[in-house]
Amino acid sequence: MTVAVREGLRNLGHAPSAPFAELDDAKVVQAFLDGRDRAFDELVSRYQVRLLNFIYRTVGDRERAEDLVQEVFIRIYRHLHRFDQSKKFSTWAYTIASNLAKNELRNRSRNPLVLFQTIKRNWEADHRPLQFEDSSSRPDDMFRKRHLRELVEQSVSQLPEHHRVVFVLRELEGKTYEEIAEITGCNLGTVKSRLNRARNNFATIIAPHLD
Amino acid sequence: MNCCEFREKYSDFADGRLTSQEHSEAGAHLAVCAACRRFDAALRVGVDALRALPSVGVSRAFGVRLRRRLRDEFAVRLPVVARWSGAVGTLLLATTVGLLGWDMLEARAAHRERAAWLANGRNPAPLAVTDQVRSYVLPRPTPAEPRFEAFHPLNSILIVEEARPAVVGDRARLDIPAVWGGP
Repeated sequence: MTVAVREGLRNLGHAPSAPFAELDDAKVVQAFLDGRDRAFDELVSRYQVRLLNFIYRTVGDRERAEDLVQEVFIRIYRHLHRFDQSKKFSTWAYTIASNLAKNELRNRSRNPLVLFQTIKRNWEADHRPLQFEDSSSRPDDMFRKRHLRELVEQSVSQLPEHHRVVFVLRELEGKTYEEIAEITGCNLGTVKSRLNRARNNFATIIAPHLD
Repeated sequence: MNCCEFREKYSDFADGRLTSQEHSEAGAHLAVCAACRRFDAALRVGVDALRALPSVGVSRAFGVRLRRRLRDEFAVRLPVVARWSGAVGTLLLATTVGLLGWDMLEARAAHRERAAWLANGRNPAPLAVTDQVRSYVLPRPTPAEPRFEAFHPLNSILIVEEARPAVVGDRARLDIPAVWGGP
């Protein structure tokens, strides 16, 4: 094993390689396809945290999210030679991540009762009229959470899965509607509808706890 | 614009995708409707708080685990090539994790050199193919070139494994498990 190869293995996922740090994703991908293995280190360094946070906010389990991020990189490594380099690498990586996250959530609901409840909740979330109950006087027995951080985390986790993915991609990852459509495989109208409902649900959960 | 219409168009309003007239109408509704103002405020405060959450970082072992999984993944899937053990002629299976991982990276780094070498007739098409085995006839190893090597046609990754080939004259027949069903 050459010294250069050992260095590449040791540094995987930790320090970006200096020659590639200044390159855009497309050039890093091309460098890897040209046989420069350290270029893959650069891709891992760039995307590991972003993908982890996206998947974690979607599936709600940090350890499992890290496993899924590894799965994303394995698939990237396996299929990078097939990647259409006219497309954005970022969108492709997030598409893989989104599919794995959705599979994870689907696998969790294999219990027939859980599956039924999930389907029922998702249907209601899609068909409930958009409404926002303005209760300026909060019930006395309502628990008031003063810790906004816990509140917003819980609020996101309560969103139906297909709303949550779109919500996280837009509000946390800053993806455009068009990118979200490509990542989730939905049309623009569906993205807009789901985002609207996600925002409505999120605000409905949050509002009673704010001063 | 009423509350229902405002809610329907809220995402376009928040993301600046309305026409200027629609945006004005939405803004006018917001100015007079306390409920929708509260909704808008709740969403903005909530999203700001969400964005302020600390970013989750990868564990310290993330890189090590990923390396190991990459080696295991490609070790399982890639075909094997016999390594001529010379005088000893023993049937050994190289450790796939370390050796195959090394081979994977080294092969990429030396891709052009190996491709040229293989073009000189050391990477023939398989003689016979079954569901379990691909049989190759390759030049018998020499002391100068002691190993059998081959590229997988799809991604040119070099795999080396030790096995006992059947030697016939100056050629040797290798039966390679067809472990890779393709990417």
